[in-house]
Amino acid sequence: MSKPIDLVQGTLDLLILKILDLEPMHGWAIAQRIRLMSNEVLQVGQSALYPALHKLEQQGWIEAEWKISENNRRAKYYSLTLAGHQALANEASRWERLSAAISLIVRTT
Amino acid sequence: MARLFVKIHLRLRSVFQTRKVEEELDEELQYHLDRQIEEGESRGLDPEAARFAALRDMGAIAQRKDECRDARAVNWIENLRQDLRYGIRTLRKSPAFSVVAVLALALGIGANATMFSVVYGILLRPLPYADADRIASISMNYASRDNVFGTMCIRDFLMWKDSNRVFEEPSLFRSQRMDIGGTGSVPEQVQGAFVTAGFFSTLGVSPIIGRTFMTGEDKPATASLAVLSEGMWRRRFGGSARVLGQAILVNGVPATVIGVMPASFQLPRRETEVWTNLILNPPTRYGPWFYRGIARLKPGMTFEAAQAEMDSIGLQMAQQNPYYKRVTLPVLSLRDALLGTAVKPAMLVLMGAVALLLLIAVVNVANLMLARATVREREMALRLSLGAGRGRLVRQLLTESVLLAAIAGIAGLSIAWISIELIRVGNPGNLPLIDSVRLDWTALAFVGAMSTMTGILFGLAPAFAGARADLHSKIKEGGRSSSAGKGLGRARATLVVSEIAISLMLVVGAGLLVRSFVNLQRVNGGFATPPHQLLSMLISPGNRKYDNAASGLAFHDEVLRRARNTPGVELAAITDSLPPDREGNADSFQIEGQVLASGEMNPVVSAVTASSDYFSTLRIPLVRGRFFTDHDRLGAAPVAIVSEGFAQRFFPAQEALGKRIKQGGPWMEIVGIVGNVKYRGLTFNTDPVLYMPFHQEYGGRRFLVVRSAGDAQPLGETLRREIQSIDPSTTLAQIITMEQALDLSVSRPRFNTLLLSLFAAIAILLAVVGIYGLIAYWVAQRRHEIGVRMALGAAPTEVMRMVLRQGALLASTGIAIGLGGAFFLTGLLKTMLFEIGVMDVLTFAAAPLVIMLVVLFATIIPAFRATRISPMVALRCD
Repeated sequence: MSKPIDLVQGTLDLLILKILDLEPMHGWAIAQRIRLMSNEVLQVGQSALYPALHKLEQQGWIEAEWKISENNRRAKYYSLTLAGHQALANEASRWERLSAAISLIVRTT
Repeated sequence: MARLFVKIHLRLRSVFQTRKVEEELDEELQYHLDRQIEEGESRGLDPEAARFAALRDMGAIAQRKDECRDARAVNWIENLRQDLRYGIRTLRKSPAFSVVAVLALALGIGANATMFSVVYGILLRPLPYADADRIASISMNYASRDNVFGTMCIRDFLMWKDSNRVFEEPSLFRSQRMDIGGTGSVPEQVQGAFVTAGFFSTLGVSPIIGRTFMTGEDKPATASLAVLSEGMWRRRFGGSARVLGQAILVNGVPATVIGVMPASFQLPRRETEVWTNLILNPPTRYGPWFYRGIARLKPGMTFEAAQAEMDSIGLQMAQQNPYYKRVTLPVLSLRDALLGTAVKPAMLVLMGAVALLLLIAVVNVANLMLARATVREREMALRLSLGAGRGRLVRQLLTESVLLAAIAGIAGLSIAWISIELIRVGNPGNLPLIDSVRLDWTALAFVGAMSTMTGILFGLAPAFAGARADLHSKIKEGGRSSSAGKGLGRARATLVVSEIAISLMLVVGAGLLVRSFVNLQRVNGGFATPPHQLLSMLISPGNRKYDNAASGLAFHDEVLRRARNTPGVELAAITDSLPPDREGNADSFQIEGQVLASGEMNPVVSAVTASSDYFSTLRIPLVRGRFFTDHDRLGAAPVAIVSEGFAQRFFPAQEALGKRIKQGGPWMEIVGIVGNVKYRGLTFNTDPVLYMPFHQEYGGRRFLVVRSAGDAQPLGETLRREIQSIDPSTTLAQIITMEQALDLSVSRPRFNTLLLSLFAAIAILLAVVGIYGLIAYWVAQRRHEIGVRMALGAAPTEVMRMVLRQGALLASTGIAIGLGGAFFLTGLLKTMLFEIGVMDVLTFAAAPLVIMLVVLFATIIPAFRATRISPMVALRCD
């Protein structure tokens, strides 16, 4: 397993929104899911995850709710709000353009 | 919209339900941690290793939490709350520091708020008259007497009125004591004023009920009308509207009440209770000069233009009347006229002094904060190294100092509130316009601004010094900070030196005022009877039949007879003037055989009428000749007595006795020369005085003055009853002892002296605290060094001398600077000083001595403590 890559600034928000678009989840699960879905390439530390979650909540893109988790404990579940869906669309398209542009430059020989 | 509400809700939740939010955050992070550990275990790690890995992964939990809080974007409010909480905790942790700092600032802020309210009320608050800054007071001075705001006669007024172009409608007024009587009511003597018809409209004031004077109601043959004050209306008429149209007796003449003025109207004097219409009868001669003018500038006219016109009118007056030499007609704003000449400079000096006091307080607290900053350098460095932003640290330190200032502001406000009430109610300074002094929003805003400013001011230096803290050296340095502390030490020394300098300036100022006041107290009014043994009262025979000299004299003789027979009275006399400042009359005079150039006249002198025992009652010394006797009656040969100053000035190198002089009436022979007495105030140069026998110069309203063997105060009631039983229409007023009269006459200088001394005393107190703090700190810093010295055999006296030398060094630097400042500033006191120069040597010599002693006193305790440092302890301490 190669060394995990640090996330590009600003992309964590997009990943969280995308993951939460699938289903409501608590913080730990979000981290796990990002790791698994990226084939262990992307590693999200708590140092980045929780502030990001709180910021998104503050922005009104996600909302939190305390639920019983799969191992029978109380956990804070986040889910997308309406504004969150919209933000996800915006962020995703922004990312598409950005990555396409970067690829264009990187692949030029 | 809905999102906005969610946001607001979340933010409010974060701010107001901190605990819940924090708990949830804890739980959330704990959950994460647990899951991480579980996962580690499932990968085959043992529980301890899994836990360790998870924790390492998680990093500093506290930092995570802080970042989450940051993300919630409520940090500035939350930080403020934290800073406040932390600030309160810090203040409570060092109560001595907090109490001293708050007290120092509270004194400074309280004194400033008080002075500000007084100065604002007296010098700045708009007068309660429409467009008050366009109202002018016009007085008249001419060469024969040095008045500052002199008065004019009706003839002068009519001439002014005829040539007037700059004012709306010139009005004239005269203050006079009036006897108020009327059917079925107790006669009383009050302050009244004669005013021309335009007086009230010039001021733009309206009555509560009824009306004021209308145009033309000052023309000859107009009936007497009266406007009452609200106070008199409530007192004598129970506040009934039926008073309108009723007749009251004013000086025995019926006058119809036409209106009532509100209590806020206090012109021409504060205590004026009745206004009657001044009738402008065509004058047959110049004088009497009893009147002053008041007028409103026409739109577009300025005070300068008005003054220019009055100057040219003055020239005309001088041409028409050769008696008028160097006539001036000063045009003053109404406020300046009400304030007179002395109040404004004194107020400004006191305001300046109190500002210096605040400066000392601020410096002092800044000093305390710096001292603490030094102690807290390690704490700050530690916090910086743990990741606190420098901005955050500065903000926290500033929050602490502003919090301190806010507490001091509230305490200062209480001080101000109490002292303003004391000043307002007691009016110990006998200040004009005292009724506009109050603690109001302007003052509150002033205090608020001042507290915040001072808070930031004294917080700033330590805040930056603290946040600049260099991480590594400070933490390593530990307690042994003799070299690194130098920067702060120098800053503190500078602050203390400036404190000493400012204190010295205040002490010099206070010293000058005290010396001046002592001089004033020493002024001999010219009489030798102890002041508390003299009681005087103003008696007015209310009945008009006493206008006639024969019955009037009989009345006063009866007053004298009864007064003499009153138990406790040693001597009694009737007079129209009393020292120190109750001059009855002043006029020019002629000397027999003296040839004056055309238009020349002798100076105006105090002209006193007195009964035979007057001089003995007051113990005014006889220089030559004789006192008046009971034989100097109406019909006997007219006689006069002159003061020593009079004789020297007008009969130099001659014997004044036997010379004849004249003042309006017949030639009078000078039969006696008596000592000089002051009738125009203690600060005036002694005026020449001319005395005439009471029986040969009769007038209506006179003082009775009695001398008793002991305290004369208790005689007042008995005498009042006795005198009123002669004729119930008689009114008595101003029943006071000479002691009270003297007291009253110096109330303003005493007030100024008292305040400035108080400010200086507080300044010294604050400086002592500052010096003590600095020296104690200096000693603490050198514990090690001193310990070594003592271990090497230094005697305690040497150590003591070393510390005292530090104090002396600070003191002499501060004193040198302070003397320089005082040298320039005492000039401002010039008008407030009596018979003492602004460069008074004694004051300038004594003040530094006082300061030096105070500094050494503040140094002694830490110096003594330094000698007690055990060499062993010094070596042990790190």
